[in-house]
Amino acid sequence: MRIGVDNEVCEAHGQCSIVDMDLFPLDDDGYSAVGPDREVPEGEEDTARLGVDACPVRALKVLS
Amino acid sequence: MSVLDDLTTPSASADPFSVFRALRESDPVHWSEAHRAWLITRYDDVSAAFQNKAFSNDRVRPVLERKRQSGAESAATGVLGLMTGWMVVNDPPVHTRLRKLAAGAFKGQRIAAMDAMITRIVDEHLDAFLRGSGPQDLISEVAYPLPATVIATMLGAAPEDRDRFREWSDELALVAFGTGGAARADRHERALRGLREMESYFHTLIEKRRAEPGEDMLSALMAKEGDDRLTDDELVGMCALLLFAGHETTTNSIANSVLALLRHPDQLDRLRRDPALIGPAVEELLRFDGPIKVLNRWVVAETEVRGRTIRPGERVHLVLASANRDPEKFAAPDALDLGRSPNPHVAFGKGIHACIGAQLARMETRIAVARIVERLPGLALAEEPEWKDVLASRSMEKLVVTHS
Ligand code: HEM
Ligand code: SF4
Repeated sequence: MRIGVDNEVCEAHGQCSIVDMDLFPLDDDGYSAVGPDREVPEGEEDTARLGVDACPVRALKVLS
Repeated sequence: MSVLDDLTTPSASADPFSVFRALRESDPVHWSEAHRAWLITRYDDVSAAFQNKAFSNDRVRPVLERKRQSGAESAATGVLGLMTGWMVVNDPPVHTRLRKLAAGAFKGQRIAAMDAMITRIVDEHLDAFLRGSGPQDLISEVAYPLPATVIATMLGAAPEDRDRFREWSDELALVAFGTGGAARADRHERALRGLREMESYFHTLIEKRRAEPGEDMLSALMAKEGDDRLTDDELVGMCALLLFAGHETTTNSIANSVLALLRHPDQLDRLRRDPALIGPAVEELLRFDGPIKVLNRWVVAETEVRGRTIRPGERVHLVLASANRDPEKFAAPDALDLGRSPNPHVAFGKGIHACIGAQLARMETRIAVARIVERLPGLALAEEPEWKDVLASRSMEKLVVTHS
């Protein structure tokens, strides 16, 4: 599974990071540092989905 | 500038939104003599303030230091000492470390697994409520006991100890928000005694978990993160913070949501017809009338907001409840639209301090509101609620309803 953030859309709400700090790191200003395309470690798929769904502006996407 | 800017008068507490509208339109970064603080009311400015390093959360330590200097080493300085360690009143790097150590306990899967436990607690309270007839207070019977019971259960407290969590939560609020005059000095003293009991209770619970770790949140908080972990005193502080931050907020989130639905029967019908709407519905209810009106920040460096110079030593109030009704961010902001999406409200704050309990709070509010709506089909308001005259929270005295 791969996830990515659209940094044009991200507004630094930090809600993804509450679900999992390691899967959804933030930069110093609170914006998502997930990057455009990142691999989700095996076994973490459900958590990744929760984090993607937690974003209020839908900046995060499950890519595959 | 003669704009109404005292947010704690009875009329402003009853209808803060028209006060906010006037402030947003006429003076969005407003110095209020009544509050001795800047009121920031537009979404964009509130949002940027969460990122502005000139605004600090470190606001308990100065109070404690003043008290200690004046030689008043007392029970109050003991409790203030505990609160000084809370992540919510600390800046990086202290905050960063504590938040990281707490994060494991709030991970997505762990919270998602609490679904059944919360549903059971909600249903127990609703069973009792349904046995009653005539007008009853939904806050004292359901919305108030629920979050304290959830936190107690989460931390692994024995069922017979759960009622004490409510008392401690009230006592923490009393100490945190100060006393008003001599009439309350006595209550204050009793609160401090209660909180010493709380501290020793949490110490004992920690000892138990150390001997016998479980699946509970306290065991998760005790876990190592890299080479670091929370000390026993920090763990006690963390337990107290979770109770303090997670109780009254969630009570008001449930109560304000039910009131908003009762005042918008079309939206209540919509939710009854489409229960799957509960996710976005709760986001909209948090935006529309969330539990926190105002967050506080101390100014530690000179900064400018919308052309106003804000200076070190001053205080800033971030008016979340106003930002959430800003027409520049939300179309038709005063309309309740349970399907609103996207919904980037700031009821949980934003940035590094954004509510770490947000997933849990959402789940509690979703389950409680969904079960109330489903199990109380005849729900109706029995009397006009009164709002508490407090600055920080949006909180009713009672929510008296009938259910048949
Ligand atoms: C609907 C209910 C709730 C609302 C509206 C809410 C709102 C907030 C807000 C606005 C903040 C940011 C404070 C700031 O920036 O100064 C915050 C922080 C916090 N909340 Fe919540 N909260 C709720 C429920 C909970 C629950 C259930 C818990 C835990 C059991 C919790 C624990 C915390 C903690 C520990 C912080 C401090 C985080 C930090 O400083 O990094 N909250 N909350
Ligand atoms: S929740 Fe969305 S907006 Fe907030 S930081 Fe994560 S990606 Fe960005």
